[in-house]
Amino acid sequence: MVDPITWSQFLVICVLCTVTMLLCRVAPMLVLKGRELSPRAAEALALIPPAAFAALVANDLLTPGMFAAGLWPAALPLVAAAVVVVVARLTKSLLWCAIAGVAAYALLMLV
Amino acid sequence: MTVACAAGGPSGRHGLARIGPVRPLIRPARRTFACALRAGASFAILILRMFSRDNITEAFPAALPIILGYVAIGLPCGILNASIGMNWVQVGIMSVVFYSGAGQFMIPNMWLAASPLASIVASVSLVNTRQMLYSASIAKWCAGAKRWRSLLFAATVTDESFGVNMNRFLEGGWSVENATLVNLMSQTSWTLSCIVGALVGNAVSIPLAIASFAMTSIFICLLVTQKISLQNVVAAFAAMIAVFLCKLAGFGGAAILVGALLGVGAGILATRIREAD
Repeated sequence: MVDPITWSQFLVICVLCTVTMLLCRVAPMLVLKGRELSPRAAEALALIPPAAFAALVANDLLTPGMFAAGLWPAALPLVAAAVVVVVARLTKSLLWCAIAGVAAYALLMLV
Repeated sequence: MTVACAAGGPSGRHGLARIGPVRPLIRPARRTFACALRAGASFAILILRMFSRDNITEAFPAALPIILGYVAIGLPCGILNASIGMNWVQVGIMSVVFYSGAGQFMIPNMWLAASPLASIVASVSLVNTRQMLYSASIAKWCAGAKRWRSLLFAATVTDESFGVNMNRFLEGGWSVENATLVNLMSQTSWTLSCIVGALVGNAVSIPLAIASFAMTSIFICLLVTQKISLQNVVAAFAAMIAVFLCKLAGFGGAAILVGALLGVGAGILATRIREAD
């Protein structure tokens, strides 16, 4: 069993992670705020959302060797994801997508 | 917080305790809780003064899907953090100042794997570098806003709230105040559910795989409701492939940032190639 975390260890982790997090969250905004961007920079920024969301989805759904433990455990989230894609195209609602995704995932686990 | 506690000290009922050796009327843990609550409430009022009733009624429906998702994953997150010995105060502090779902899951996991402090901090920070991309994207919405308002907005952006606010800003009629409220409502729900998770501990068990799929579903929805253009599709596919390759190569921590950057690069390349034709 690992030792429980002490207050000083907690503070080290919490303070340092918060500092790097705040820098990442705030610095680029401060640098770019109120500046006229070149068309190329604007184009690159416009591509961030599709690229970032695709990366987040892939990070959640894809793992090397995911099919090693059999087809179904790895295919289950993919099938649930397909359900969410359909719901997203039909409703364009985050709320319905979240509900449908969790429901589909839970139901598929019963199969 | 300590200031508020000291100021609330020698008045009213507390004065009675000085007369004789009576047992403290309020137990220390209770008092910390009351103080934290009071400090939190006064800070919340200070922040809320920034917003009008219209801001609140507009922001809440936008924030609702995030709130539900955060409750679903905040509870298991609090439980996990409690399992490495964090108390609810620590979990609360972490949720307010650090405020990162991925990070707050990684810390206890790495702690349980006996990772050294330096490697925990480095890995968690690496995973969170993707926030730079959102920060760069929100700059144009902050153009007309006061500096400290844009700071509060930027400091509370997450994957999910960035996506929700982006859609609203694109629809038009959305303000930095509304967007900040979406962030703060999400953060409040995250903090409270993490604290509740830490307090109930292992008394309840939540299937994490199912709960976290709420977040995956939100990302999928944000992805497939993007405008379907050549460069967007290329960027999305390239990002997914890059994430997979990063994980394959053992750079899982940087996968999201590297994937997103390569996706952006591929999207630009696609535009250039089409222009050249």
